[in-house]
Amino acid sequence: MVEKFKVDISKCIYCAGCVSVCPTAALTLNETRVYCDEGKCVACGVCEKACPVNAIRINKGGK
Amino acid sequence: MRFQTEYDVIVLGAGPAGSAFSKVAARGGMQVLMLDKKKEIGSPVRCGEGIAEHSEADLGIMVLPQAVASRIDGARVFSPNGKTLCLKNEGTKGYVLERKLFDKHLAIDAARAGAHVLPHSLAKGLLVTNENKPCGVKVLHMGEEIEFRAPLIVSAEGMEAKLAREAGFDVKAALYDVDTCFEYEMAGVPCEPFIDLYFSNRLAPRGYVWVFPKGKDVANVGIGIGGSVGGNPKQLLDQFIAEHPELFKRSQPVEFKGGIISVGAPINEFVKDNFMVIGTAAHQVDPIHGGGIGLAIEAGNIAAEVALNAFESGGDYSKARLLPYEEAWTKKSGSKLAKRLTLRKVLEKLNDDDWNHIVGSINEEDLQKVMEGQFKSVVAKIVLTRPTLFKLLSALV
Repeated sequence: MVEKFKVDISKCIYCAGCVSVCPTAALTLNETRVYCDEGKCVACGVCEKACPVNAIRINKGGK
Repeated sequence: MRFQTEYDVIVLGAGPAGSAFSKVAARGGMQVLMLDKKKEIGSPVRCGEGIAEHSEADLGIMVLPQAVASRIDGARVFSPNGKTLCLKNEGTKGYVLERKLFDKHLAIDAARAGAHVLPHSLAKGLLVTNENKPCGVKVLHMGEEIEFRAPLIVSAEGMEAKLAREAGFDVKAALYDVDTCFEYEMAGVPCEPFIDLYFSNRLAPRGYVWVFPKGKDVANVGIGIGGSVGGNPKQLLDQFIAEHPELFKRSQPVEFKGGIISVGAPINEFVKDNFMVIGTAAHQVDPIHGGGIGLAIEAGNIAAEVALNAFESGGDYSKARLLPYEEAWTKKSGSKLAKRLTLRKVLEKLNDDDWNHIVGSINEEDLQKVMEGQFKSVVAKIVLTRPTLFKLLSALV
C-alpha cells in the first residue's frame, strides 16, 4: 500500500491548517502528530497547498 | 480515575471562546465540562496575540497583568515603498498577549466558576439519540475511552472544528477564504509600542507582514498570505526579514508559530438542535487582520447567556431556543464583519503601485474612517488622484 498523505515531521509545526481545509475530514491532529484516515483521503492536494511550512506531500497514485 | 459523565453542557476546546462560555454557564448554575485535546491549554500558539484594550470593558474580562507581554498605543501601516500611516487614539490602544498565560488564565477562571476542565482529552466522535440529536461526546483520555453525556454540545474547536463538522455544520474552510500564516517570535528586534503592518502584494500576496512587539526587543514577526495564492509563507517571511536589516540584523528566532485562519464570512448557521458553534470554529474572525480573540470571547458570552436561558426554562435546547445567540451575535458583530470582508476583497486586488499611491494620498483620519467602515469620502479622495482605481474601489461605496 502506498500512502496518499505524507507529512515531514521535521517541518510540521502541528498547526492543524491541513485539518481545517481537508474537504473529506480525513485528517486529525493529536498533540504534535497529524493522522490521515487513508480511507477518507481523496488525494486532492488541498492540504499540501495550505500547509504554511510545505511539510505535506500527496501521492495521487496512492491507494 | 472515576469521572462524572453526565453534564448540562459539554464544551469542546479551552480557547478564549470555550473558557468564556464555560465561565458564564457555570456561574449561572449549569454543570459544565470543558474538554481540550491538548495536554497544555494555550499551547502551541498559532496567532499574533494582539487584542484591543477596549475589549476588557466590552467583554467584561480583565486581562491578567502577567499575560500582557506589551502595551500598544496604536497601529502603523507601511506601503511597499516605505510610506507610513499611523493610527493612535484611545480606541487603538491594546495589548500583545502571552497567549499561553492568557488562555490558561481564562480556563482557570472558568474552573473557579465551577466548570469541570479536562485537558489531554481528544473528542473522537459525537453521540446522538435515536432521533439523531447530539447527546454526548466520545472522548479518549489517558488511554481510556469515556462517554460524556449532555443535552447541549458547544464547539469552540477553532479552525479544525471536527465535531462541528460531524454535527453537519458547513465549517470546512475553502482555500480562498483562509490566510496561511507563519510567524517567528524574535529576540533582538527594536520595538516601539505599535503593531506594524506591512502591505505588499509581492512579499505578502493578499495578506500582510506584521511586527507585534512583545517587549522592548522581542516581537512576533509573522506573515499571512492568501490560501489560494499557493505561496510559501515561511520563505516569503524570510525574504521580508532579509530585506529589512534595519529591524532584523541582530535578531534571533526564539519560537516558530503558524496556522491557518479564516478571513471569509462566518459560517451560515451557528446553531442546530442541541449544538452551538462559537468563536473561530464559526469563522467569527476579522477578515482584514485575522484577529479573533475578542470576537471569540464575545460569542462565548452571548451563547452562554442564551444557553442559560434555555437551561433555566426547563432544558429545551432545540434550535429555536438557541437561535437568539445567532441573532444577537449577528446584530452585534455580523454587519461590521461583513463590511470588513468587502474591504478585504477589494484590498486583495491592489498591486504594490496602488498601495504606494493610496498610503501616500490619504491621512490618518481617512484610515480611521476606513477602519470604522466609512469608505465613501476616502474612496473619493483616492479616485480623484487615480481615476483608474474607480472600478475596483466602487465596490466599497
